[in-house]
Amino acid sequence: MNFPHVHLLLNHFPVIGTIIGLGLFLLGLFEEHHQMRRAGLILFVVLAFITIPVFISGVGAQVVLRKTGVSDSLIQRHEGAAMLALMFMEMTGAVALVGLWESYRLSRPARWNIAAVLLFSVVTVGLMARTGNTGGDLRHPEIGGLDQSTGAEGTLGSLVHAFEPEPDKISNLMIFTKWMTAFLMDLHFIGLVLIVGTIGIYNIRILGIAKQMPVAPLHRLLPWGLIGLGINVATGIAVFVGAPEDYTFNAVLWLKIVALGLLGLNTAVFYLAGIFNDVERLGPGDEAPMSAKVVAMTSLVLWCAVITFGRYIQVFQHSIPRVSN
Amino acid sequence: MFLDTIEQTRVSQWLRESESVFGFYFILLFHTFGLSLLVGASAVLDLRILGVAVDLPLKSLKWLFRTIWVGFAINVTTGVLLVLAYPTKAFTNPVFYIKLSLVAIGLTTMQKIKTRVFDDPALGEVAMAAKARSMAICSLLVWTGALTAGRLLAYTAPYLVYGVRGG
Repeated sequence: MNFPHVHLLLNHFPVIGTIIGLGLFLLGLFEEHHQMRRAGLILFVVLAFITIPVFISGVGAQVVLRKTGVSDSLIQRHEGAAMLALMFMEMTGAVALVGLWESYRLSRPARWNIAAVLLFSVVTVGLMARTGNTGGDLRHPEIGGLDQSTGAEGTLGSLVHAFEPEPDKISNLMIFTKWMTAFLMDLHFIGLVLIVGTIGIYNIRILGIAKQMPVAPLHRLLPWGLIGLGINVATGIAVFVGAPEDYTFNAVLWLKIVALGLLGLNTAVFYLAGIFNDVERLGPGDEAPMSAKVVAMTSLVLWCAVITFGRYIQVFQHSIPRVSN
Repeated sequence: MFLDTIEQTRVSQWLRESESVFGFYFILLFHTFGLSLLVGASAVLDLRILGVAVDLPLKSLKWLFRTIWVGFAINVTTGVLLVLAYPTKAFTNPVFYIKLSLVAIGLTTMQKIKTRVFDDPALGEVAMAAKARSMAICSLLVWTGALTAGRLLAYTAPYLVYGVRGG
């Protein structure tokens, strides 16, 4: 298994999954089927997460591909398309997450959220298709994406290309001064504090500490935790883009992403297995069920792991060897 | 120089140069855990005072003041060790003094919120929030500043160790 392999395993998910997510969301809207709409939102959030290791493994794949003589300008075009698609995928995931949180608090979806999810997801579907195609052009010239002699692309391609960032320019933007990294990491810590404070206090109460607090109002603190998460995903990606090869070949970064993925699964279990409903009713002094305590403990342990891996990223910089296969 | 003397001690050298995972970064990690408790608890208190999660009784959050002090204790301990590892880097950097000042102001503010608002049995929930409001805003700003100052320490040090320039 190497980075091109990982990239190929993962990259089909956002391309195809966003179409399925949009389909579920639209069907749910038209049929007024609450669960189907929610399934679409969940899929968008899952895909927003998966797209991050897709992007990171892409950098690793690039390192291997450069040695096989694939045109650098083609690779750059694909990476630029991927950057734009990643941006919109994360924004889709963010509004979907808000929509999901609201779906557990309100009976009817907020209109602004439906509009936002639709808008961002439609654009993302298009950009993912574009990214998939430009990726296909790298190893499959037979799909005829480019004029073989001039390397020019069609009208639609050129139009989208005008919006796509140039990867090298974006990288330089992130590192032209050390204060940029300082600023991004400062925001990263602010996000960290918001996450630990809000999600932490919710987990701690469920574990049975400070039982004088009623549980349901604590859940209202979570949007600030989500804001923290959003800040950290954005600043994390921004810092990555500044030195992509340093981070891709860092085993600890991958461990951090795995831990975040496990947190996602843990959260899914919490809501989908109905544990959330069990704890909503808990008032001062009430004990939470064992299932809730397991989820809460897992959450705390995993967040500590995320912080630990994050702190050690600096230490394990070239921990994945670059071997040409 | 006094700072050079500290850096020559075995403890200081071990902290700086150890290849063990329990070296400098381990201490820095626990400094992060400490600040998560300290600023996390403060942030939750401040957010609640400012009206987030208004169904959550303020009085049920009084325990958070203890969490703040636990976080502070962890950070004083780890902080002393960090300064022991890089005394020149810390004491020649004006940002370090700014950070310590902001931490002091932040803790004073939180303590004031506790004694003037939470410890006053005559105040009801709404009155508590109203009285603590400006202190909560101040607290959020000060802690953001302290976090920023702390983060900037990595980038602003005029000297790494005695005689070696940083930056």
